[in-house]
Amino acid sequence: MNAPTTNDRTQALLHELFAKATNTASESLHGWTSGQITLTLDEVHELPLEEVSAQFAADEDMLTIIVLTLQGELGGQIILTFDNENGRELAATLLNRTPSEGDEWAPLEISALKETGNILACAYVHSISDLIGQKLVPSPPHFVQDFGASVLQQAVMAQAMVCDRILVGSTSFQRGETELNWRVFFVPDHNLLSEIHTTLEAAT
Amino acid sequence: MSSAVAQTNTQKTARKTEPLVGMGQTTVVTKPETTRAVLGSCVGLVLYHKRLGIGGLAHVVLPASEGRDGLPGKFADTALPHMLQSLAKLQAHSSGLVAKLTGGANMFGGNGPIQIGDSNAAALRAALNELKIPIVAEHLGGSKGRRVTLDAATGEVEIEIAGEETTTI
Repeated sequence: MNAPTTNDRTQALLHELFAKATNTASESLHGWTSGQITLTLDEVHELPLEEVSAQFAADEDMLTIIVLTLQGELGGQIILTFDNENGRELAATLLNRTPSEGDEWAPLEISALKETGNILACAYVHSISDLIGQKLVPSPPHFVQDFGASVLQQAVMAQAMVCDRILVGSTSFQRGETELNWRVFFVPDHNLLSEIHTTLEAAT
Repeated sequence: MSSAVAQTNTQKTARKTEPLVGMGQTTVVTKPETTRAVLGSCVGLVLYHKRLGIGGLAHVVLPASEGRDGLPGKFADTALPHMLQSLAKLQAHSSGLVAKLTGGANMFGGNGPIQIGDSNAAALRAALNELKIPIVAEHLGGSKGRRVTLDAATGEVEIEIAGEETTTI
């Protein structure tokens, strides 16, 4: 099995696709947070396997993370990360209360973060599904607190099986003019990446 | 997990300054150096020569290369010979080495794709056994990532996991 290769033209099309998906996600999130939060695409990275951890600010920080896995033959991962403070602030915003200071994450707070992940993932999935003309099925969201790098490693594992370069789309979030310490990563697996490449190349 | 625990670990896990051993990479350090990696389902292979104070760390991603090209540390069957070669250049030959294994978590509660940790560990155990390099400690499995730091002065491996006390093997 050979990994798809990305030339400049395909890279530009991938960026366009990710930008469209991010825009859809931003519109959904804008509605979900009553107009407070938006997101923009930073980059579509194709980088060597060994640089996955180091390339992202999330590498060694302990993060609050929502993970959704695309199930079925066309797979991948959508990962939403926050530091603890930003996660609590988001939950508080959505629940219309002040950020909690207790020891526990309340089930309602976790539920609010999971739903945020769900909304973002559905927006991404919808855009990609539209492009390739195939249904993509995200799993229920999974809440974890862990090292960012260890979660990203697991997400890129399916691509690592077949190649030494990894494609990752990453975005940043803003509340008004303020940059938030949130990130969302979309990591298609080999099959989905091949399908995207095929569709993009056929369109050129 | 409680936020208090998470915050405690955030403080404990402030960024360190040593270079990080990324996926598929290997490194060799001599005392008093240290080296570290963040591991999810990948397995960290540590080889250590006590008398010389020399150690190596490989960040192993997959159990078998099956003829594929790639970084030497990416596969269990190529990482071990590559590390032995690197250590031998510093006169740390296999007869004086011991091994430690860590990592291999089943991330995302076992619901994620390609839970490869057990296979990675099994492949490394078999390869080490064949070369008669004793495995003196293992810290494997679970469902969380680990930050591991090898201290070449002692051969100790410090293991940090979210929400848990730091362990040393």
